Amino acid sequence: MPPAEPPVSEVERALHRRRPWRLYPLVILVALLLLIGLITAVIGISLLLRLARDSARTYDDPVAHFTHGSIGAEPESGLPYWVWQALPRIYPDAFNGRLDYRAFGFLYEVKDGRQSDLPLGISRRNYRGVELVWFNCAVCHVGTWRQAEGATQHVVPGMPSNNLDIYRFIRFVLGAAGDERLAPDNLMAAMKAAGAKFSPIDEMVWRFYVIPRVREGLVARASRLQQFILEQPPWGPGRVDTFNPYKLGEIKVKLQALAPYELYGASDFPSIFLQKPREGMQLHWDGNNTSLAERNLSAAIGAGVTPATVDHAAVDRVAKWLGDLRPPPSPHVVDAAAAQRGRALYMTNCASCHGHHTNGQYVFEGAALGKVDPNSRLGADPGRLDSYTAEFRTHQLSELFAGTRYRFKYFTKTDGYANVPLDGLWLRGPYMHNGSVPTLRALLSPPAERPAAYVRGSDVIDGVNGGFISPPCEPGRPLASGFCYDTRQPGNGNGGHTYGTSLAPAEKADLLAYLLTF
Amino acid sequence: MTSEDIIFTPLKFRNLTVKNRIFRSNISGRFDNDDGSLTQTRINWECKFAAGGVGAIISSYVPVQMEGRIIASYATIHRDDFIPLWQRLGEAVHQYDGCKFIMQLSHSGRQMDLPGVHNADRRPVSSTSRKESLHGFLCRAATKAEIDKLVADFAAGAWRAREAGLDGVELHAANGYLFTQFLSSGINDRKDEYGGPLENRARFLLEVIRAIRDRVGRDFHLQVKLSGIDRNNVIPWEGKGNVLADTVQVAKWAEAEGADAIHVSSGSLFPHPLNPPGDFSFETIATTYDAMISSGVDAFRNFLLFRYRLLRPIFRWLWFRMKKGHPIEGVSLDESRAIKAAVSVPVLNTGGYQTASFIREGIHSKAFDGVAIARSLVANNDLVEQWRSGRDLPERPCTYCNKCLLNAPKNPMGCYELIRYPSRDAMVEELMSIYRTRATLNLPPV
Repeated sequence: MPPAEPPVSEVERALHRRRPWRLYPLVILVALLLLIGLITAVIGISLLLRLARDSARTYDDPVAHFTHGSIGAEPESGLPYWVWQALPRIYPDAFNGRLDYRAFGFLYEVKDGRQSDLPLGISRRNYRGVELVWFNCAVCHVGTWRQAEGATQHVVPGMPSNNLDIYRFIRFVLGAAGDERLAPDNLMAAMKAAGAKFSPIDEMVWRFYVIPRVREGLVARASRLQQFILEQPPWGPGRVDTFNPYKLGEIKVKLQALAPYELYGASDFPSIFLQKPREGMQLHWDGNNTSLAERNLSAAIGAGVTPATVDHAAVDRVAKWLGDLRPPPSPHVVDAAAAQRGRALYMTNCASCHGHHTNGQYVFEGAALGKVDPNSRLGADPGRLDSYTAEFRTHQLSELFAGTRYRFKYFTKTDGYANVPLDGLWLRGPYMHNGSVPTLRALLSPPAERPAAYVRGSDVIDGVNGGFISPPCEPGRPLASGFCYDTRQPGNGNGGHTYGTSLAPAEKADLLAYLLTF
Repeated sequence: MTSEDIIFTPLKFRNLTVKNRIFRSNISGRFDNDDGSLTQTRINWECKFAAGGVGAIISSYVPVQMEGRIIASYATIHRDDFIPLWQRLGEAVHQYDGCKFIMQLSHSGRQMDLPGVHNADRRPVSSTSRKESLHGFLCRAATKAEIDKLVADFAAGAWRAREAGLDGVELHAANGYLFTQFLSSGINDRKDEYGGPLENRARFLLEVIRAIRDRVGRDFHLQVKLSGIDRNNVIPWEGKGNVLADTVQVAKWAEAEGADAIHVSSGSLFPHPLNPPGDFSFETIATTYDAMISSGVDAFRNFLLFRYRLLRPIFRWLWFRMKKGHPIEGVSLDESRAIKAAVSVPVLNTGGYQTASFIREGIHSKAFDGVAIARSLVANNDLVEQWRSGRDLPERPCTYCNKCLLNAPKNPMGCYELIRYPSRDAMVEELMSIYRTRATLNLPPV
């Protein structure tokens, strides 16, 4: 090999001597600028992509869409998925020591011995890069029943959520707003314990942006709702006040501006079977709207959507499926002859207002079916009726969805309660709009003879009286399980609907036998 | 213009009278032979300006040593046998209504753009051994013996100029060449009597002035070109160098040692964002800087910064941030005025001069006694005559595009601003005009 040729110039000699790793200031500057540019670009683009994200999983199965699909409640009302999962670890007392939300009556699917990570009625949406969870329609409209204590629990989409104690849940969430245990250090640790994994950048984002925003959101919500909630008599499972939180939370009316008489509107969750035949009827307990679409959208607002975040397609898909959703047939076994006699009585006394059940199917037929019966005649507790005010209606119509084709047009202020169809009646106890009457048998008794207080919360059906097993109770005395519903609390009155109360006992027995087949 | 026009009033130095106030500043191209002997082309070049009416021509840098060449193929004054060549050049210039010729004596120090075959294999001397900041030109600190030799060589250069019948000499103590490398606090890092305080840093220059006076006497014109302010931090982490007060002091010392005039420029490197002031054509330098890639250890980096559009903003920022708040015409006028106030010898100023009224105002307001112009004269060789005919600005003025400067490493010197010409062919023809008068060719002795 010939000897290497020596460098020709002094510059070449110096370059030969230069160590390859030696960088020069300007090169470092250029590299630094490029690096900073690159980092800025990567962060900027990922941030933009992240901020632009608003996606939720689509479910092919309509039932799964109903129970898990998002309707758009998460961005404004929701909690981050990992905060949701961390809360049971931070507040073991409120969750009865469990790591799920069953303490509040939320339901879970169990498959192969494994429980789903989120309850029915809680949906997920990735909004601005954060997985959020909150309510969908199913949270208030999926219930359970069982034949007897210890028997298999049947989950029925579309029936009232007889287990969910939404009052307790709201009260817990609002209480957590100002709680020091939700501080980032504690919350981050609990989220990690629940299985969350954060990249160092995500950790910063969560610590300094997501968590403070969640807490601010809760504080804002608490400032509007907490006093109202604390002053309410507990609603108990299966019940909600639809319009008062709506006034305070969405319309942002001050609690002081509300009249005392309109504050007690807690009512039972309704069943939502067979919606198509209901089009045009006076919907809601007080019959204040005749449009299914509007009623649905209004209910979605109750679940937490806003005009800006609502996923209309998802809501419409649920509505379409509910149009033909039949309730499961009644499992009650009755004396056929008695039921036949009862049917005759029903057709004379009840059918014009409530339709009838013929050949195993409910028939939407009756001159006054789906029409409002003035409360001056009906005599039911006025709490729910009075909670929907003309003033609130004005806000509703002028502020929500204003300027869009979804603007509310059909809401009216009524003077009574609607005559509701009775499809799936066996799953709809307790009865009356406010759930003040535990069983069908009690409903056929004069108000004075109806139980003054009874236990709610059991899903064991009552084959004798109709509805669910609801033993009497004494308010204030602790119960092993369930909630003692006190009819003497405001909004809880069990008066009115005296139709059929004057029938002879044998006639009542026949009528009850027929009603148990609905 | 009337005959009282101050521009056309003679400027009297101690040993020299120049017919007007306009000096052709130092500029040239690669016209000469590699051994340093000058050519007919250089004579043609200088005569263009003499014919155009300037009072005196200050030559481009003329190295006093082969080791101090800035660009190869520029004429030198390091040998006695070159005296007759310079004599011819002097005679040629004098033909034009007594135009004077002042030779700029210089040494590149580390600022050696194109080392050529003589210098490629060695590091030039400087005040420091730190490489030059912009291109990465290498160097080594001169020893005391080398400094003594440099002083003697400058004196010898001045003597040769005088022997050649030229009208004076200028010491190039501005713009980053060897004298600046000693003067500037941003460059000079010596620990001996030539470094440290200003009087030490000025020692080399003052020794040269003294030696020239010893060699040529008191009656030969000697002027000194100084940078008013160094602004040495073009590369941001370099020191800022000398401030105006330093240069005022150096000018006073130079006068005391026997300088007959001070020529004020700016910047401690060349080119500098403020010298020559004006634009910086990336498209031009991308095609010419390749000639310098092998000259410095950082030159290839610069080439990339010039060549690639994406990288250009880096150099653009470095370069143009220095220009903010400075005019083009009269860029160092304030420095000139300050120096003129401090010395009693005449002061010349350079930096973008092209407007007659502006120059008159500068002379009347005692900012300077005359101006030295390069680019505007390259663009309009007859600039002085245009002023004499009454114009304030020439018909097709210099645009300060600096394409003449950026072409220097590779192409013939001239105006490369296409928009000043009717066509590209016209531009090339103008560039070639310096070759028009050809030398008589001799047969080599057999």
